[in-house]
Amino acid sequence: MKYLFLTIIVSGFFSIQAIAQDAQTIPPIDKSPMDMSTYPVNYPLLKIQDKATIPIVARVTYSRPQKNNRIIFGELLEYNTVWRFGANENTEIEFFKDVKINKVLVKKGKYSLFAIPNTDKWTIILNKDLNTWGSFKYEKTKDVLRVDIAAQKTTEIAESFYIYFDKTNTGFSLNAGWDDVKVSLPINM
Amino acid sequence: MQFYKKILSFFLLVIFFSCNQKENKNDNKQSPTDTLQNNVAALVQSDQSTLDMSWCPANYPLEQMQGNKQKLIARVIYSRPHKKGRKIFGTTPESLCVYGKPWRLGANEATEITFFENVNIAGKIIEKGTYVLYCIPNENKWTIILNTNLYTWGLHIDETKDIFKTDISTIKQTPSIEDFTLFFEDTKTGCDMIMAWDDVKAVLPIVFS
Repeated sequence: MKYLFLTIIVSGFFSIQAIAQDAQTIPPIDKSPMDMSTYPVNYPLLKIQDKATIPIVARVTYSRPQKNNRIIFGELLEYNTVWRFGANENTEIEFFKDVKINKVLVKKGKYSLFAIPNTDKWTIILNKDLNTWGSFKYEKTKDVLRVDIAAQKTTEIAESFYIYFDKTNTGFSLNAGWDDVKVSLPINM
Repeated sequence: MQFYKKILSFFLLVIFFSCNQKENKNDNKQSPTDTLQNNVAALVQSDQSTLDMSWCPANYPLEQMQGNKQKLIARVIYSRPHKKGRKIFGTTPESLCVYGKPWRLGANEATEITFFENVNIAGKIIEKGTYVLYCIPNENKWTIILNTNLYTWGLHIDETKDIFKTDISTIKQTPSIEDFTLFFEDTKTGCDMIMAWDDVKAVLPIVFS
């Protein structure tokens, strides 16, 4: 019996080690999967169907954390604190032409995207620091733009954080939401 | 004793993999009520083949955050399709990636590579910039191709926009890989871009200029 237990422990140890080694080389699927949104909406699909009427204007690349039964705003994410607007690598937005946000000219190029959530409004931040992890090294001095937008309560609960673009009368909007909160940032062309 | 050991290792492996599967299922779980109640979330449901990012040097953003100053060389954005019991590479039409036919090295949107510096691949200088990355798999070699037709879906490749091609030999991959993976490993002269799926692996050496 003693040997049997020993065997269980020893073989368990070796199998775990073998698995750990494989896991080390092959990256697992992220818990917060990455996703991409474009404006025009679904641009890559429109492009291959020859249905794109204008060239690509914006693309956001972000990771999608899950609610997992947690209260998100005010608990997981403290109010009045810079949040990476996603998970893992910093959320990145690329404008392929100059746009205007809150009457401020935003030059074409890549920016990191952050938010400061509050109960009634979120501050959306465009920053120059790229290819970073989260908001751990966020520096306010590298901000390009800060704009406040109203936070709206939703009756539905969004399990995964989302970002998508929508056409508007003056251009398009970047819509984001998680749990029972959503925001919309108008962007003018 | 040896026999017990084998049996036990086998069971432990089975337990491990079943746990893993459960975890994946939970990740993708979305009950019908969720979908009905939440049109917005339905619009932006997580992709079956999730997007991912790989960096050269490996894990660049994390390393950077931890204070390891390195020069960023490359970044790949690609989607990760799953094997799901299918035959992946082969000559028959049932194979997901047919020998001799272009494959997007991923899923969904075309796989994209950005070089932040000029690099040297197979003796040729590749200028810094963003390219679509795809391949033509064959039994013993893959042709790796860089293309300038950006922001497109991976299925239609405009071959007139190819700017670079190189052949690399394939290696047998064991154990078989469920989710297509593309990642970088640092080498003495630069980094290796490693691509692997099912029982095939291919390595593209990238030399820093």
